[in-house]
Amino acid sequence: MKNSTSWALTAGLLLAAGPAWSQTVPAASAALSGTLRDAATGEALVGASVFVKALGQGTSTDENGFYRLVLPKGTHVVTYQILGFEPQQVTLTLDGDMTRSVKLGAQRQQTKEVVVTGLRAEDNVKKPEMSVNRLDMKTVKLMPALLGEVDVVRSIQLLPGVTTVGEGASGFNVRGGGIDQNLILMDEMPVYNVSHLFGFFSAFNPDAVQDMTLYKGAIPARYGGRLSSLLDVKMRDGRQAERLTVNGGVGLISSRLAVEAPLIKDRTSISLAGRRSYGDLFLKLIPEQRKNQAYFYDLNLKVNHRLSARDQLTLTGYRGRDVFNFADVFKNDWGNMGASARWTHQFSPRLFGSASAVVAQYDYGLGVPNGTQAFDWTSKIRNYTGKADFSYQLNDNNTVSAGVSGTRYQFEPATVKSLSSESIFRGLKVDDQQAGEYAAYLDNEQTLGPRLQLQYGLRLSAFDFLGSGTAISDYVGETGQRKTAVNTRTYKDGELIKRYANLEPRASLRYTVDLNSSVKASYTRTAQYVHLISNTTAASPLDVWSPSTNNIRPERGNQVALGYFRNFHDNAYEASVEVFGKTMDNQVDYVNGANTLLNKDLEGELLYGQGRAYGAEFFVKKSQGKLSGWVSYTLSRSERQIDGINRDQWYPNKYDKTHSLNVVGMYQLGPRLTASASFAYGTGVATTFPNGRFVYEGLVVPVVSGDARNNYRVPAYHRLDLGATLKNRPKPDRRWQSEWVFSVYNAYSRRNPYGIYFRQNADNPRKTEAVRLAVFGSVIPSVSYNFNF
Amino acid sequence: MKRFPFFLTLLAAGLGLLSSCTDVVDVDLPEPEPQLAVEGNITDQPGPYTIRLTKTGPYFKDQEPPAVRGAELVLSDNDGVTETLRETAPGVYQTRQLQGKIGNHYLLSIRAEGQQYRAATEIKRVPVIDGLTQQLKQNEPGWDDGIYAFYNGPELPGVGDYYRFKIWLNGELQNDPGDLVVRDDALVDGRYIGGIELNEDPLQPGDSVRVQLLSLPQDYYYFLNEMFTQINNVGLFSSPPANVRSNVVNVDPNGPRAVGYFAGTAVRSARLTIQ
Repeated sequence: MKNSTSWALTAGLLLAAGPAWSQTVPAASAALSGTLRDAATGEALVGASVFVKALGQGTSTDENGFYRLVLPKGTHVVTYQILGFEPQQVTLTLDGDMTRSVKLGAQRQQTKEVVVTGLRAEDNVKKPEMSVNRLDMKTVKLMPALLGEVDVVRSIQLLPGVTTVGEGASGFNVRGGGIDQNLILMDEMPVYNVSHLFGFFSAFNPDAVQDMTLYKGAIPARYGGRLSSLLDVKMRDGRQAERLTVNGGVGLISSRLAVEAPLIKDRTSISLAGRRSYGDLFLKLIPEQRKNQAYFYDLNLKVNHRLSARDQLTLTGYRGRDVFNFADVFKNDWGNMGASARWTHQFSPRLFGSASAVVAQYDYGLGVPNGTQAFDWTSKIRNYTGKADFSYQLNDNNTVSAGVSGTRYQFEPATVKSLSSESIFRGLKVDDQQAGEYAAYLDNEQTLGPRLQLQYGLRLSAFDFLGSGTAISDYVGETGQRKTAVNTRTYKDGELIKRYANLEPRASLRYTVDLNSSVKASYTRTAQYVHLISNTTAASPLDVWSPSTNNIRPERGNQVALGYFRNFHDNAYEASVEVFGKTMDNQVDYVNGANTLLNKDLEGELLYGQGRAYGAEFFVKKSQGKLSGWVSYTLSRSERQIDGINRDQWYPNKYDKTHSLNVVGMYQLGPRLTASASFAYGTGVATTFPNGRFVYEGLVVPVVSGDARNNYRVPAYHRLDLGATLKNRPKPDRRWQSEWVFSVYNAYSRRNPYGIYFRQNADNPRKTEAVRLAVFGSVIPSVSYNFNF
Repeated sequence: MKRFPFFLTLLAAGLGLLSSCTDVVDVDLPEPEPQLAVEGNITDQPGPYTIRLTKTGPYFKDQEPPAVRGAELVLSDNDGVTETLRETAPGVYQTRQLQGKIGNHYLLSIRAEGQQYRAATEIKRVPVIDGLTQQLKQNEPGWDDGIYAFYNGPELPGVGDYYRFKIWLNGELQNDPGDLVVRDDALVDGRYIGGIELNEDPLQPGDSVRVQLLSLPQDYYYFLNEMFTQINNVGLFSSPPANVRSNVVNVDPNGPRAVGYFAGTAVRSARLTIQ
């Protein structure tokens, strides 16, 4: 470990905050803190503003609805406000630190408005954070959805800077990064595979999700472990519920049921949500298909318990799974699961802390249960994480965060068992792997005068690749070809094989130009120690994760971003322009014909290189009024250079899209009816076209001149989706509320090419042809029914 | 596709359920620079052994590839036997005396169109086929009712064996892109390979089934495996298109590269007439 440099830099960071550390809070000041909640539901209000107009001082509430404000002692008029609620003014006299929690009532006209975000529109301009997009589930639920399945991942793909290799592909690409470079946290549990049904639907049950935040850059020092982004998905916790509330829905693909209830009023709440697809129930109606199963499900549980006025305990659990079973001839299942416990404690009005324990896992199994080909194959990645985070408001101008975390990873890439003595298969195991990942960070948010605000921090991360009582090797050979294992040796269980450490500085600043506009800049360095081994266009559920090893080095990323943020028309419109540049090293790629599964010498088939991405993102969002939505346009480039591919020259990534335009609109047509539309346009993905051929034993083999990679583009992608939500007629004293949701996916029936492929004609094998594959080639209408009571 | 699942083609069948609409489109491709294409084998069976030399052509040109005539081909083995091949038809070169042997290494040198190429290979060991059997399947999940033929034979102990299976039904080689079956023995090392079905659609009495088991050198296995990937490369989980390897190497590293393969294989075969 680079101990000396790291500690020197940490010390430097402390010194930078110098005045803050050496200065005590003036005796004439005191801290006011508390929580803001929705008066009707008890839900914490995130991002509400709390300010003293006379002093021009203010703050906003954090993710738990907490706020704290240091004010001169004396009497103040404090205003609490957030979009969609009646503002409240409280006059109070501060003669020492005090707590004041406030409940805000909903605005009368709120039902007429579509609230795109629970956050203040001013944050776009006033917060130092940049490269961040938040989506509220209320918004996502109004957007048109494929087959009626409200989809977190598809909605994220409509944000600036986010692309995908194609519809139906698992995951998403942020600012030119790979899908495994997104840290996806659901209440602190990492989610290794975000898809159901190979990528067609997202692993997040919309009824279980409160909101999500995507950090495309300027990732807070608190988070690390992935190169390109953080997607922070917050689950509903039941605190919203004043009484037992049931939400449910029936759609074409799945049905959902969610229950939220206060178990002990103002103390303990519970949220339980389930979703299951039921295509296979229809299969049972067809005699030949009776024994076939194909479904997915999700279960989410969250319990919130207030231990005291200052302590809160949150327990969450998640399990999602896809199951395929073809008449006991072949079966395959996969899924994520996780559990977390989080304790938050308010040490003082200025000091907050939290401690969490998390376990998360992704695993799959496939096999043939009977006969001469009987086998059972399993694969798993699991992590155990413990962490502690603290946030301390030093004074009006400095809020310091610090924390530590430790993770133990267990990798079981593949275990194949023979299921009978007559089976042709023997057992085979690709050796288990173990690793530890550790991090400590320190971060300060500092205000320097009325115009300048800084956030800067340092994250020190380290990774230990550990022995598992199994053999490891080095690999030698020609670059671009399979390499041979040499120097094979065995390490004891837990013995250190290789240690890596990285310093990850993060910094962003906001300079206020005027009341409605600001300029922001950021620098982010990130390190990634686990890698998804996937050599197919879309990641498959069978892809395995690998730790950094003696051969695979940690990926490192550097990103700079500069942005101009401006709000118009009294914050009705939020707009931003951001440019970014990013470099990535130790990127993993594969030799031609690499075998990524069941391969003991996988590391001999990996190639390494560098990546770069740059672009400009334009974003305008309207959150208020009858018409809401956003327009985003991204101009970008994402490339990589791998020794052994494309004659070692740079080439565009599969998901590189020069142009990407997204328009999302929702219009409140009446008190009961909301219409929505979304349009997406993107440059076609990069692909490789052969131009020559030869015949080998009667089969036509394509030849790519000059070993080029991604030398062509498939035609542009564009798609219009339409949706409408019709609520039932409101009646006083009726608790049952329901709505019909109509969606038309791919409204003008475009056959968007997922790819162009080259093959022999099935009838005339000498003839060769190019074929276009469209995942959806027609209009896909759907209807679903939702209710709550 | 359940034949020879040493590796899991079954999953692909599962994914096939999701296969969506495809249609043929027009694509403009630049003319390629023609390259030498080599196709040839030496086996442990009696010769003559044939090596065919052609040129690569534009991808969409479905005519017979142009033959490379007047080339000089010399084949030698590690026993010191050397033979110059004779051009018996345009672009078709044949041996007269040389006999392939399991365990021997072979070097082919080609002088064609002013370039000098070399290709090295060997003939690897091969297990016996005990025989083919037939079985009537009725009301069994995953099977259409009817008669199926099965392969039975041992696999040799020791990892590192590679095989290709060729199947003829009623005298016709099953040779669609999906019929190229190459397998390694990592999952089946030393096991008895029994009860592996050879036909997807049920057979009728009187139908004939013939199987060839070919042992492959590792590099040739990689060649055929990459070729399988490239000629069956459609869909969500397609691999990046890339050139298939070749063991035909231009002695001038800056000279034009050749494609194709000159391979050594040992061959065992078995046949069955359905009763």
